[in-house]
Amino acid sequence: MIPTRVLIAAGIVLALVIGIGAVFFASSDPDGLDSTALVTQGQKELTQPANPGAAVDGAALPGTFEYSAPFAEYTLGGSKLADAGLMVAGTLLALVAVLGIGRGLKALNRSRSS
Amino acid sequence: MHIPDSFIPIPQAAVYWLIALVFIALALRWVRREMSEEKVPLVAVLAAGVFALQAFNIPVMMGTSGHLLGAALVAIVLGSPFAAVFVLSLVLIVQGVLFGDGGLTTMGANIINMGVIGGFVGYYGYHGLLSLTKSRFASAAGAAWLACIIPALAAALELTAAGTFPLVPGLVGMGVYHALIGVVEAAITAVVLGLIVSARPDILERAEGAPI
Repeated sequence: MIPTRVLIAAGIVLALVIGIGAVFFASSDPDGLDSTALVTQGQKELTQPANPGAAVDGAALPGTFEYSAPFAEYTLGGSKLADAGLMVAGTLLALVAVLGIGRGLKALNRSRSS
Repeated sequence: MHIPDSFIPIPQAAVYWLIALVFIALALRWVRREMSEEKVPLVAVLAAGVFALQAFNIPVMMGTSGHLLGAALVAIVLGSPFAAVFVLSLVLIVQGVLFGDGGLTTMGANIINMGVIGGFVGYYGYHGLLSLTKSRFASAAGAAWLACIIPALAAALELTAAGTFPLVPGLVGMGVYHALIGVVEAAITAVVLGLIVSARPDILERAEGAPI
């Protein structure tokens, strides 16, 4: 049986490898939701690739909200290497956020039950 | 399957947020009361894995790509649908706020689809199939496929209500694409579950025996 510490370390390494791999190898085809949006907007046939230059028209709906994320599309807009760093940071942030909140909630539970 | 801000009008998006908040509160209570303390690092690693997997779009033919949701995997490994709600909610917050993957107003809908529906379908699908097939891997694969396509169909319905997708083309598009993406989700969920079982059989044994 592999010790928990090793399992956790292996999991972190695997997550980082997948995240960095995503920067270099992920498909740039639209995802299922965007593909469906393109189909309903007449820019894509269901079983065919989207028309060249097709873009999801999100401004069609009135009364919606606009927000510009600082690292939209998981990119800094420069080199792939920098984007890989960004992906590592994002992956570790997800890890730390869950770790922190999980630990905090367990500590809260201990203090309440004692 | 991350719905952007521009796809749902704010009043409807607010309703999804309210529903999502109820499930987030239940998930936080589950973490505080039910989840054992030694599971915290495992949950955190699964969150890192879900974040990375969701960034990795894999081509699935027909000019479309898809990524894993990971909700079924998290719910199965940790033995509760609320584990998936917890992990997916935090991952979606990071994705939406920093990376523009999914909107802020629509984050509630995304949490409902991927976290709540994905987690509950993944968890109960796995246990239902396990009692029928007795095979962990077939059950995990089947549950993961369902936990991909059912949230996609839910998203199609929400977007029809929003006026973004017409009903039938929306359901057909989301259904067809996510039926394919779900095959990848099923395969990877079964493989990762296999790796975890071979490394630490006790984790899944405890998860399967745990009350919700």
